[in-house]
Amino acid sequence: MPDHWGFVVAAYGLAALVLGAYWRRLVRRERELAPAEETPAATPPGTEADRAAPAAVRRGAPP
Amino acid sequence: MKARGTGGRLTRVLGWLAAAGLAAGLVMAFGVAPREATQGNVQRIMYVHVPTAWVAYLAFAVVCAASVVYLWRRAPAADRLAHASAETGVVFTGLTIAAGSIWGKPTWGTWWTWDARLTTTAILFVIYLGYLLLRGMIEDRERAARAAAVLGILGFLDVPLVHQSVLWWRTLHQPPSLGRPQPGALDPVILAALLVNVAAFTLLYAYFVAKRARLLAREEEALA
Repeated sequence: MPDHWGFVVAAYGLAALVLGAYWRRLVRRERELAPAEETPAATPPGTEADRAAPAAVRRGAPP
Repeated sequence: MKARGTGGRLTRVLGWLAAAGLAAGLVMAFGVAPREATQGNVQRIMYVHVPTAWVAYLAFAVVCAASVVYLWRRAPAADRLAHASAETGVVFTGLTIAAGSIWGKPTWGTWWTWDARLTTTAILFVIYLGYLLLRGMIEDRERAARAAAVLGILGFLDVPLVHQSVLWWRTLHQPPSLGRPQPGALDPVILAALLVNVAAFTLLYAYFVAKRARLLAREEEALA
């Protein structure tokens, strides 16, 4: 039977693409949520750290 | 705060272990495992297809167990674990179907057929896709978690059906590669390569679930 390397490359490539995309999605979401967590509790609103938080998180709205 | 830091370190360790495992899996699949006598090199797709299928079973078993715990104890952590595992399971089930389809074309001559194994796996994919949609559709968090837990438990009934389908019905799909009835069916080197990949994908699953569950906890905190 022929080796069909094209199909092997397609299967491994697709797996790398899908798993890589899912991993990147998790990392991006982690970054989005990180500033809100790292903002010190005593930081008054309107400071640099507060402005770094995503608007949705500052409003308390669903991200 | 300290627990979160420890969790982050553990997740990072899991990530590095998964990366090392996947690298070892690639070496085993392409450098160590021999060319299969009947199918040729296209059989190497098995080292992706079987581990992703195993992870899908594992992911939905975790969803089922965590859902039982949630309904029993109403523990938010159990709900987050079920949610994270279902999402990861859907990713791996999709990959199982796609890799199987790519393998099926050169070996069976078709991308898809309504074979018992393929059909029950497609149903499994749709069930847990529905699970994620259900969670997104119900606004009340408690109600969403309860409904999802019930679906997460009922959906798991399809997993033994998927696994046994190749034994219960006459199908185009081959019998299970691991734990098949006749002993010694796999070459020891091929089996070793397969087990390394199964371990690597299991580590990757654990990493994804740990990361996703932490994100869900942060999202809940941000909403509170």
